[in-house]
Amino acid sequence: MLKKQRLYISALLISSTFCANATTNQSNEIKLSFIGDSESQAFLGVQQGIDEANAQGRFLGQVYSLTATPSSSIAIFAAMDAKKISQLSKVYPNKVIFNLTEEDDYLRSYCFTNVLHTIPSQAMKDDAQKQWQKKKPSSTANVQTWHHTFKKYAAGQLNIRFTQSTDQKMTNTAWAGWAAVKLLSDSLARNKFTDTANLLKFFKTELAFDGQKGMSLNFRDTGQLRQPLLLVDNGNIVGEAPVRGVVNTTNLDSLGLSHCPK
Amino acid sequence: MKLTSTAVLLAALFTQSVLAQSTGRVFVTNERSNTVSVLNGTTHQVEATISIGKRPRGIGISPDGSEVYVAISQENKIAVFDPKSLKILRKFDAGDDPEAFAVHPNGNVYISNEDSAKATVINPKNGDVVAEISVGLEPEGVAISPDGTRVIITSESTNMLHVIAVPEHKIVSNILVGARPRAATFTNDGKFSYATAEIGGEVIKVDMVTGKIVQHISLGDDKAKPKDVLLSRDGKHLYVAGGRLNQVIILDSDSLALIQGIPVGKRVWGLAMSKDGERLYSSNGVSSDVSIINTITNTVIATTKVGKFPWGIVIDD
Repeated sequence: MLKKQRLYISALLISSTFCANATTNQSNEIKLSFIGDSESQAFLGVQQGIDEANAQGRFLGQVYSLTATPSSSIAIFAAMDAKKISQLSKVYPNKVIFNLTEEDDYLRSYCFTNVLHTIPSQAMKDDAQKQWQKKKPSSTANVQTWHHTFKKYAAGQLNIRFTQSTDQKMTNTAWAGWAAVKLLSDSLARNKFTDTANLLKFFKTELAFDGQKGMSLNFRDTGQLRQPLLLVDNGNIVGEAPVRGVVNTTNLDSLGLSHCPK
Repeated sequence: MKLTSTAVLLAALFTQSVLAQSTGRVFVTNERSNTVSVLNGTTHQVEATISIGKRPRGIGISPDGSEVYVAISQENKIAVFDPKSLKILRKFDAGDDPEAFAVHPNGNVYISNEDSAKATVINPKNGDVVAEISVGLEPEGVAISPDGTRVIITSESTNMLHVIAVPEHKIVSNILVGARPRAATFTNDGKFSYATAEIGGEVIKVDMVTGKIVQHISLGDDKAKPKDVLLSRDGKHLYVAGGRLNQVIILDSDSLALIQGIPVGKRVWGLAMSKDGERLYSSNGVSSDVSIINTITNTVIATTKVGKFPWGIVIDD
């Protein structure tokens, strides 16, 4: 069974891994790998994150780059479906894996030790929608992770940077890709360790990440990134969740599964 | 160099006469009204409102008190007006999206250019660019050491304090701090600096000789989004604008222990202190007012309505 899975993943890697330029192996070089469609917004978000990691890294002697071999990377950034994410976590049990696109609740309730989700789960979006309906019962707004018109909390600055480098509007999965790289690079800047166990512990207990959404973000034990969400109606942001007047706006755990099931 | 020290000495000698000529007015930029509110320093009432330009934010005064500078972000310029006549004298190019700036004792202005990850040094007399320094992403806060030899630029999305040597205009250290550093200030002797980290909810004290953080505290309230920071004139107390906490927070400058919070208007961001250190002003963005605090009793003695989203404050005293 295990052998079969490994074969499957290897084939997958060959078919869909983005091949980065070969780079020399320096001590200050930090390698990341991306698995998924290299034309996707998630990938553009990862690239934006790498650009910004290098903007910080030049002051610290750190250089970030992509590698085509996940085994030589510090973390794997995946734009794949739930089944493939779950296989990936078993093939690379000692790597941090970031899920950038899959909203499936099962991936959160399963509580993989090494999988982190920067994209919000379906349950988080459902809860945001329910909170909003309590406030505005007739609203037709839907829930988004990010929006290209988002300006508050310096979101506008991130949208400007993304559009300047890609000529595209920043979407939900682009934000998830950017956030995953940015929070990893910010953690590597602050800590001497680079190993998976310490990184995972740090992400779930000490991380205070500025996702440019106005609040300090960190991970639940389920591996899900706690985060505010946006209510968008007709192309305009009409609200934010947790929804003011319905729940405490700082209670990010009012959205989705807050803890691993016992 | 010698010339500069002579100039500083002369300025010091004439401080008395400069003070005598000062208007005592308090100037407040209103980000969403495109105006500057002019407050009488004694009555705390609005005496006049100046139409200044699009999205005014940072504000500063020349060392001799003869000119007030306002960063008008959406025009990519700095506007200059006369604090006595309130006439706009000129506008000069200030790079892309100028936000915060500080005025050096030699008269030059140090500006953070948010969208282009750099700081620009400009001579406001002729608008000449003296230097450009590449820094981290979303540069914001600018602080200048009292002796003028060091400038700190905070980069909000790179989470650093960039320390720049003057007159070389080279970065001498990069200090990693909490998430979204917004503002910084130096001690009178220049040996330490303080900075706020808005998203981290932290206040940090840095040893400027070693470049190391020597003290930091979390404000411990999710609503505390610290922004502006300044020291009392005796250096004992640190004042922090608490953002959505709607308080000016007073900390012990040595231990960073909380002394007390003073309730002010909604979403407090900007702070300014009178020369005698007895009055502290806060700009409260959401309630569109300015709170005037007596620093001896630590109470709000007046609240004055200004324009929409007051941002920066400077006092001509």
